[in-house]
Amino acid sequence: MSKGTININVHHVTRIEGHGNIVLNAKNGKIEKLEWQVPEAPRFFEAMMRGRSYEDIQTIVSRICGICSISHSLVATKAVENAIGVQVSEQTDMIRLLMHFSEQFQSHVLHVGYLVAPDLFNAPSVVPLVAKAPDAVKTIIGLHRLANEWSDLIAGRTTHPVTLRPGGMTKIPTEQQLRELQDRIKKCMPNLKVVANVVLSVAGNLPNFERPTEYVSLKQNKPPTYTFYHGQIGSTDIKDTVAVNDWKTVANEYVVDQSTAKWTKWHRDSYAVGALARFNNNAELLSPGAKAIAKTFGLKKGCCNPYMNSVAQLAEAVHVIEAAIQLIDQILTKGLKPEVVRVSPKAGKASGAVEAPRGILFHEYEFDRKGTCIGADVCIPTNQNHANIQRDFEKLVPEILGESEDSIRQKLEMLVRAYDPCVSCSTHMLDVQFVR
Amino acid sequence: MSRNNHQSSIINNQSVKRPVVVLGLGNPLMGDEGIGVHLIERLVALAAEYPSVDFIDAGTGGLSVLHYLDGRRKAIIIDCAFMDEPPGAIRRFTPEEVRSRKVLAHESLHEADLMQIIAVARQLGQAPEQIVIFGIQPEQVQPGGELSRTLAEKIDEYVSLILHELEQ
Repeated sequence: MSKGTININVHHVTRIEGHGNIVLNAKNGKIEKLEWQVPEAPRFFEAMMRGRSYEDIQTIVSRICGICSISHSLVATKAVENAIGVQVSEQTDMIRLLMHFSEQFQSHVLHVGYLVAPDLFNAPSVVPLVAKAPDAVKTIIGLHRLANEWSDLIAGRTTHPVTLRPGGMTKIPTEQQLRELQDRIKKCMPNLKVVANVVLSVAGNLPNFERPTEYVSLKQNKPPTYTFYHGQIGSTDIKDTVAVNDWKTVANEYVVDQSTAKWTKWHRDSYAVGALARFNNNAELLSPGAKAIAKTFGLKKGCCNPYMNSVAQLAEAVHVIEAAIQLIDQILTKGLKPEVVRVSPKAGKASGAVEAPRGILFHEYEFDRKGTCIGADVCIPTNQNHANIQRDFEKLVPEILGESEDSIRQKLEMLVRAYDPCVSCSTHMLDVQFVR
Repeated sequence: MSRNNHQSSIINNQSVKRPVVVLGLGNPLMGDEGIGVHLIERLVALAAEYPSVDFIDAGTGGLSVLHYLDGRRKAIIIDCAFMDEPPGAIRRFTPEEVRSRKVLAHESLHEADLMQIIAVARQLGQAPEQIVIFGIQPEQVQPGGELSRTLAEKIDEYVSLILHELEQ
């Protein structure tokens, strides 16, 4: 094929929902065009937040994304609290962390089960995978269900949480509910290992590709923690960390011709965020079970194979299970008590950061003295990965140009899926034709 | 889009699923795309009259719809739908009566096609015996928290059709 013509144009445009396009044109072994093209995702939410009360921000942003709605609500709440100078109680902090774990678990199980497994089993999507591996799919769905019920309990519902408010929570679970949740979480570990073993059985289908990359994620030193929620901005290219309020000096957003989404770069011409970035920055802090999973798959700190992001997600899924069990013990030992939250608005501007399942997520807000939002800025992990996907393409394609067009297309699509970009999440409407 | 509206539309932490579920899908920040959620907000105010029905604002949770369907006798799903009808038109149909025109890139979990989710639920034996969809043709799907006037003026009509379905 390398001497022939290759034209790959993975171009899916539904009426409203955006998708990333993969374009590769090559002739006689020479690449003429190779682009990862993406539409802008949630920028319009920033305009919507202007003029709204500081009390409403977390509710609005929960609709930015149906998969990462807890992360958006949590980071907005943190940013609002930073802007108006509010400290939350230890109890609130622990319950929010437990809420955040539920989303990591939910998203990782879904990603590995519904998006990556079909590739590894050579199925075009999860629908035919049900016929090929029904037991594995049922196990994945069972884990997904637990994650949803975990979110329901702590966030008030599966997606678009409603229990957060600046300064605290509108509702907290009872100690009995937490005990029941902990019991169910403990029981899911064998099933999670079943899923890991199924993936391991076909892990040889993960392409062997490496590209030295800068990995950016939160890092938490006090106490040293494999963090999703607290800490400062770290990178595999530096030893120090950067304050969350200075995230714009990390993202350095810029515009490119091939995409309406902004791209980012820090110490190199691109960087990666997500599970592999967190792993590469913090692997030594994973729970014992998570370390064991990473070892089984041969995932080591310093790995720069983007396809291994899915393995890092599996390790993180085990980590959040083990960390959640421990966290519930801590909450129950301290005992839950009702809290009265009193927050007064004041003028201020600040940022927040959390690790969404797909990587570090920044929100920044500015309020006037009445608590009315006068400025908002959101930088999602997907935008931070776009430049990196393009650079991965540029190194990968020359290495595989001798393969068939189908094989090249599949490897490019798998690469995009490994990052799981959020490009079409704010609308999901039906598009149907009547057949009778 | 107040927080109270959303809280009032949730039925959570309940130990037993009711036999019938009404799911409102969509994003209320995207104009008519949020019609399903707007209708759930109206319907939940009547929930006391329907003790065997769960009314759920399922938002854009995608595959989470699988779990809302499981263990039910009947599901009524309300969603914005392109159906080649005039804006504001509502059509009642079953999954068998339509073919999805959506082409998913399968690049991301963030894509979703309700018809595929129903297919997976059926393959797994976790779908209700009866699934009824109310599709509502949008006038405008764009950033903005308001429904178009065309759809807003028909809300009462939509509600009465869904309540009639609940009586079946």
